[in-house]
Amino acid sequence: MVTVPEEIRRQIEDLHARYIRVVDDGQWEEWPQLFTETCVYKIITRENFDQGLPLSVMECHSRGMLQDRVTGLRSINVFEPHRYLHQISGLSIESISGHRILCKSNYLVIRTMLDGNMSIFSAGVYLDQVALSSEGARFEQRLVVADSRRIETLLVLPL
Amino acid sequence: MLQWPAEGVTRSPYRVMSDPEIYSLEQERIFRGPVWNYLCLEAELPKTGGFRTTYIGDTPIIVARDKDAAVNAMVNRCAHKGAMLCVEAGGTRQNFTCPYHNWTYDLAGNLRGVAFQHGVAGQGGMPADFDLAQHGLERLRTETFQGLVFGTFSDSVEPLEQYLGPGMLANLRRVFHKPLEVLGYHHQTLENNWKLYMENSRDPYHATILHTFYATFKLNRLTMDGGITIEHGGWHSMNYSKGATMREGGYEGTGIRSVVENVGLADPSLIAGRQEFDDGITVAVQSLFPSCVNQQIYNTLALRQIVPLGPLRSELHWTIFGYADDDPELRTMRLKQSNLIGPAGFVSIDDGVIGEWVQRGIGGRGAEASSIMEMGGREIASTTGSRATEATLRGFWQGYRSLMGW
Repeated sequence: MVTVPEEIRRQIEDLHARYIRVVDDGQWEEWPQLFTETCVYKIITRENFDQGLPLSVMECHSRGMLQDRVTGLRSINVFEPHRYLHQISGLSIESISGHRILCKSNYLVIRTMLDGNMSIFSAGVYLDQVALSSEGARFEQRLVVADSRRIETLLVLPL
Repeated sequence: MLQWPAEGVTRSPYRVMSDPEIYSLEQERIFRGPVWNYLCLEAELPKTGGFRTTYIGDTPIIVARDKDAAVNAMVNRCAHKGAMLCVEAGGTRQNFTCPYHNWTYDLAGNLRGVAFQHGVAGQGGMPADFDLAQHGLERLRTETFQGLVFGTFSDSVEPLEQYLGPGMLANLRRVFHKPLEVLGYHHQTLENNWKLYMENSRDPYHATILHTFYATFKLNRLTMDGGITIEHGGWHSMNYSKGATMREGGYEGTGIRSVVENVGLADPSLIAGRQEFDDGITVAVQSLFPSCVNQQIYNTLALRQIVPLGPLRSELHWTIFGYADDDPELRTMRLKQSNLIGPAGFVSIDDGVIGEWVQRGIGGRGAEASSIMEMGGREIASTTGSRATEATLRGFWQGYRSLMGW
């Protein structure tokens, strides 16, 4: 842990709050804008992560690939409509190097289906690399490490 | 207990997708019957003591590599009181010791020790005639082919290679032709009967319709050269296509939902690939009766195994692999293309939900109805050229009926 200026903590908390609003309110077109152009976004299960296996459930290597995921869920893939409710907690800032922050948070995603069925869909940690700039904070890297090795039915909305 | 419709394999009664009695019979007549079940890859058991756990139907299984390099498969159930010996997916062990009463088995499943066998201070203990040799783990027959490990409870099933047949062996030789490296696993629960997934996996008719990503980005279309290969009277099948042979048209203007107009990929490096097989086949999905799928979708290679979790639920296990000698560029392509497959795959997302929609659709009155499979005729035969066929599904039901006695 490092001593963290309050301003930096606030910027990251704001980024998390925007992330929640964009994903949980279905403003998915704005989701890639929370990342830098050359970002990395991966969802990986704890099972693969702990064994050093490189396979991800979802793996994006650019903002364009994030946009393609939005295209997929808007107009290509078939799934039952549902929504997420994110809870993000326990922000811990691991290091600050210039405008680059490494930090870690817990996340919990509750999924609600059309018929009202609600379940804990995923829980785990965000391992983030955040870049600060005059335009605000953006993710250079977001690694979502999901505690469960199992995905129920399918995963189409970003965690 | 079940009267199969008079139309034969062009019909499948939906009752088989939900009836608990039928589910129990399948466990006995199919999973514990005269079939070879895929268990794991030899590459996952690199050293002596390496083990993996899996399931054959409802039965938990351990696969372990013994000192003489032999691969053994045993039921994951202590002979004493029935506790599972291993809960981990895999690892390395010198022996298998039950935590309940410390009964210890070697890597071949032989019982080597029983705690307090001779009692304590001359009191208690097992009877003098208790014979360790009579109380090992239940062993399965195993055979391996090109690094794939299969097991069976049956003494009567034919040898593995004869069971799979030359058409299936050819594709396994084609894919498993050099040392593998496992890249990771996916596990996905499906709210549907296991057979709905096996039907889906071998259905070339749906592939380019439901999976809009395929047709939109021209990864797989029925206007490509390809075909289906059938073995063992239909039990096993493969459907394949050759991407470079696609003819334009056939989809556009037909009203089929499968091509989305005016959509492009912002980052086409997602589907950048390399032709790594000299036969030009770019998609090959092979379904081995009863519950294994071997897939090549461009440069993604995976084995899938469906494990039933009761009549209405199942879990799909994916083992994604590359080759040990992949160069870094090819490895990166495989990992980027892995966005096509798995529970979040641009192609396979759609399969996650479709079985569930069928399962819900066939509730109630549906148990008295049957599905219709007459695309491509009423026969079960290999074809080259057209893949607008359901011969592969009719083949599955042929195998199912012969084992279930219907």
